[in-house]
Amino acid sequence: MRALVAAALVALALPASAFAHANLTQREPDFGKRLATSPPAVLLHFDQGVDVFANSIEVRSARGALVTAGPARTIDKQRIATVPLRHLPKGAYTVRWHVTSFEGHVISGVYTFGVRVVAPPPTEAYGSAGPTTFEYIVRWGYFVGLALLVGGLAFRLLVVGKRATPALERRFYLVAMVGVLASIELGIVGFLLRARDAFQLPLGRLVYGDLSPLAQGTRFGTAFIAMTLGFALVAAILFLAWLTERPVLLWPAFVIGLVLCSGLSLSGHSAVDTGSSWRSELADWVHLSAACLWVGGLAQLAFVVWPSAPGLRREAFLRFSQLAAVLVGLMVGAGVYLAYVRLPQASDLWQERYGQVLLLKSALVGLALSWGALHHFVVRPALERGRGTGSRAISRSLLGESAVAMAVLLLAAVLVDANPPERPVKQPAAAISR
Amino acid sequence: MQPPPEVVHWMFGTGFVFLGLCLLAETIVGRKVWRRRAWRAYLWPSVAFLMGVFMWPVMVFFTSSAIHMLAHGVWAQAMMLAGAAQLGLVRGKLRNPLWELTLPFAFAVSGGAFLIHEQNPWLFSRAAFLHHALGWTAIVGALVTLALFARPRSPVFNAGFAVVFLAFSVLLFCDRNVAPIFGHLSPLAGGR
Repeated sequence: MRALVAAALVALALPASAFAHANLTQREPDFGKRLATSPPAVLLHFDQGVDVFANSIEVRSARGALVTAGPARTIDKQRIATVPLRHLPKGAYTVRWHVTSFEGHVISGVYTFGVRVVAPPPTEAYGSAGPTTFEYIVRWGYFVGLALLVGGLAFRLLVVGKRATPALERRFYLVAMVGVLASIELGIVGFLLRARDAFQLPLGRLVYGDLSPLAQGTRFGTAFIAMTLGFALVAAILFLAWLTERPVLLWPAFVIGLVLCSGLSLSGHSAVDTGSSWRSELADWVHLSAACLWVGGLAQLAFVVWPSAPGLRREAFLRFSQLAAVLVGLMVGAGVYLAYVRLPQASDLWQERYGQVLLLKSALVGLALSWGALHHFVVRPALERGRGTGSRAISRSLLGESAVAMAVLLLAAVLVDANPPERPVKQPAAAISR
Repeated sequence: MQPPPEVVHWMFGTGFVFLGLCLLAETIVGRKVWRRRAWRAYLWPSVAFLMGVFMWPVMVFFTSSAIHMLAHGVWAQAMMLAGAAQLGLVRGKLRNPLWELTLPFAFAVSGGAFLIHEQNPWLFSRAAFLHHALGWTAIVGALVTLALFARPRSPVFNAGFAVVFLAFSVLLFCDRNVAPIFGHLSPLAGGR
């Protein structure tokens, strides 16, 4: 015990290892700037002194050509790192920088600017890569979290209503909390992974990366900010509803959750690709929301109602069956419209990677719908006749349908990060934003 | 558009001074007297929970470095968790006394986040000093609340718990963006 106290006192008294890291305070030209003329140099202002190497600041054109006119150096007591530029023709440019704080920390950043064109977002900077398999998995987990939350809330409010038992209520809140936490945490992980794609840095160096161009200069960043704040609010409301036993509070949580689904639609392909319009954004939101409500509702039926409220099984199944029919109709209708917008030709379905994934997803949706149809036409009549509520086969069948629906979400995660084939029309080069 | 970081720290300092004074008052007058009005039992856990909610905007709008963003996310969740667990216990929704351990856990995680995210040495600048001091205060807070879990009626540990929050608030109110500490400011800290 004495040794522990002594160690704590020594650790407290001694200064931490002498590391200092500088912060970028200003960029010239600034991030996302559309310049009328070629800038003479790139200047990065820091709040502390920094060391640079000759290649510490690289400026590249959209095709990857290096456009610096000399080595990087520092000025103004080493607080400004600068590199001279050649005369830049019209186009988008990527600045990648790595400087060393006096105490040895390497800090990094990437940003873009344009000369007589709109600058692309950092996710489209030259040298950016991704997405990786891990990103697909994170995105999938995010979708599952969203489904558990939004679908769970819809199920609790529209299907269960006032018939909830204490045991069901406990399970419902547990599942919904898992959903909202997954949405928050995986949203943050997804944002950092996207930053890593843009920075092209290992994690150890990414932690000192300046994320502000990504957070504040892209649709993805705006969606990240709005959705993180929104889900934190939903978590707080959900907790208050549980604490005060007032299910009426679940309504605002549900509405906010449903609105937040639009964050993905407003920052994804449906908002920015060629042919996008408010109709494609709306269709994307309807598609995603209906899928979340359907998958989340199935999960509630399989993991909440069946094990914890046997008396509610029949009624919940029948009511959800009606809701699911509407949801599936909306999901399929919106999905077909989006496929029409995103795939210029029918042959893209088997010739392009995006089309192939879409085809596979459609096959899985078909399987899930067949499973749902089996429930609708076989299980439902049996339940209406008052039979089968104790059947384990139904429980297992519901779990199976839920598993297939979650597999559909995995393919949806792949599609979100994949680029649809380009339409053969002229488009402004730098207007693309993910 | 964004307020300077020191202003945000002062805002949270105000929250902590409120928490500390509530807990100190409860220690002085005793739990029985303090809880004569039922809502008082919910006061400090609600404020802690609310402060956690308000930490999220800080997390998403101050993204100058990834580690800074992550540290604020950790504090937001730690405060929400600790406040929520205490509210659940007060309300009777949570009955297992082990939920009390969320407090030392939240303190320990918050302290760790402070110490990991501050990369400068103690005397680099005032902000660096305060981050180190806040980190170690949180670690002390974890030990105090652990002791409180073992002896919940101890006036010493209850007072210690309140003093930890008051110390937090003093340290946060002392924060300035670029300022010396004990007359010392690193030439690298931007104070020239």
